[in-house]
Amino acid sequence: MVLARLFGKRPPDRTDWSVMSTIIRAEQRLMARGEISPSRRAGLIFRNDESLPFLRDLKQELDPILYTGPGATKTAFELHDEPESGMRWIVMEDGDFSDLVSSVYTVGNAMGANGASGNLLAAVFQLYFTGAVDDSSFRSGLRTYWIYRYDLKSFYPFVPTGDAVGDRDRPTEVSLSSRARRQGMSIERNMEEWRGLWGIPF
Amino acid sequence: MYGVRKFKRDSGLVTRMYFTMFMLGVLYAIFAMVLWALSFPIIFIGAIVGGMALFQYYMSDKLILWGSGSKLVTAEQEPELHRMINRLAVRAGMPMPKVAIMNTHVPNAFATGRNPNNALVAVTVGIRERLTERELEAVLSHELAHVRNRDMRVLAIGNFLVTMTSFLMTMLFWSMLFGGFGGHRDRNNNGGAIMLVYLVTIIVYFIGQLLVLALTRYREYGADHSGAEICGDPASLASALEKISGVMAHIPSEDLRKLQTANAFLVIPVALTGGVGSLFSTHPRIEDRIRRLRELEQRMSFGLR
Repeated sequence: MVLARLFGKRPPDRTDWSVMSTIIRAEQRLMARGEISPSRRAGLIFRNDESLPFLRDLKQELDPILYTGPGATKTAFELHDEPESGMRWIVMEDGDFSDLVSSVYTVGNAMGANGASGNLLAAVFQLYFTGAVDDSSFRSGLRTYWIYRYDLKSFYPFVPTGDAVGDRDRPTEVSLSSRARRQGMSIERNMEEWRGLWGIPF
Repeated sequence: MYGVRKFKRDSGLVTRMYFTMFMLGVLYAIFAMVLWALSFPIIFIGAIVGGMALFQYYMSDKLILWGSGSKLVTAEQEPELHRMINRLAVRAGMPMPKVAIMNTHVPNAFATGRNPNNALVAVTVGIRERLTERELEAVLSHELAHVRNRDMRVLAIGNFLVTMTSFLMTMLFWSMLFGGFGGHRDRNNNGGAIMLVYLVTIIVYFIGQLLVLALTRYREYGADHSGAEICGDPASLASALEKISGVMAHIPSEDLRKLQTANAFLVIPVALTGGVGSLFSTHPRIEDRIRRLRELEQRMSFGLR
């Protein structure tokens, strides 16, 4: 105990929702400062596996969860396949950002409850950023992605500069991450884990 | 002080720092008692190592100037840099240190000197190229804080004790090989005793190293804290650290899809990485320092002290 206190602290227990919900408040605060405006879209990427009934009948399963069921947030969605990688996207759209976040969480949760937790790769939120990233450059309406990795249970920013793998704006990502962290968002500390997702379909 | 805004003391940090120093003291007291109990001639070793440590301590600024290839610069040669450091020194309430420039493009800065009256602050050509004026001010404040907190002295004492132990370790090793030390005693007894001392020395040396390293990490946080007080701008120190530490190079070029399914297949779970390595480093993780500075900035902007 003494050594643990002396040399550092242990990470607290985290759940998908306790981390994912930190983006809601950060978004509100950054929007109040005029630095962020939300897009209406978010997505969930997973490794498709037709042998799992829930994933095979995904559209029928998602309809009541997201739209037609009681208490559903009326979040529109569409599916997008990536045959070359074997991945599938659920792209969701909702004008209310906190509804959008809870929809993404609910879908991931439902997949986990139906045996597909190992298939979940990441949830991705899109936000537009306006502001200075350091002393020299001002960005207006820059498209940024915020990736939530299910295996790490943490967020990190992703600002691709093109569709080619490896093209990303690292200084802007670092600057954005510290802004978001200041607003209470749970950001992955180990930058080596900030893997990109090039070719996001929204 | 001269208009320097004081932040609330980071009491947890201070406690841990004193605790580490205390542990270090206890450790060496136990060690000394073991040696004393075995009537070991410690004085001459202490004299040699102590002399070396004192030499290093009093000559540190000159040694570092020679060793690093830095050049002292006058106010005429570098008026801007001198003005900046002078302004910060006044704010920190300490005399103007000597200023040196190191001719390398690696961005770095350091301070040395046994007390504020004999201090030297050096910056590289690279750091001046890369940082904005405010960021450079923040880095220089951090270095001045090292001088003001007398970190050289703390380190010198810690290193002296560790060096002495390693000295003893080597001597005992040789004496075990050749059966030296105190022939007046019974041989068998003596061999066992030396073996015991040798084992104790190794353990003391190892723990001592860890404690000194922990101590220097806390001094580093301390310099960040008082450096932010001096320049009044923790955010600039944070962004300077981001720029010069090369943390951005850690951001990978790989696609997340390649990871396929996650953690279950990793040999070392993600949560465990970065745990053990941090015990052995002299500097805290840059990310941790940046996080603390950002927190400090937040406290400041909300007017909390």
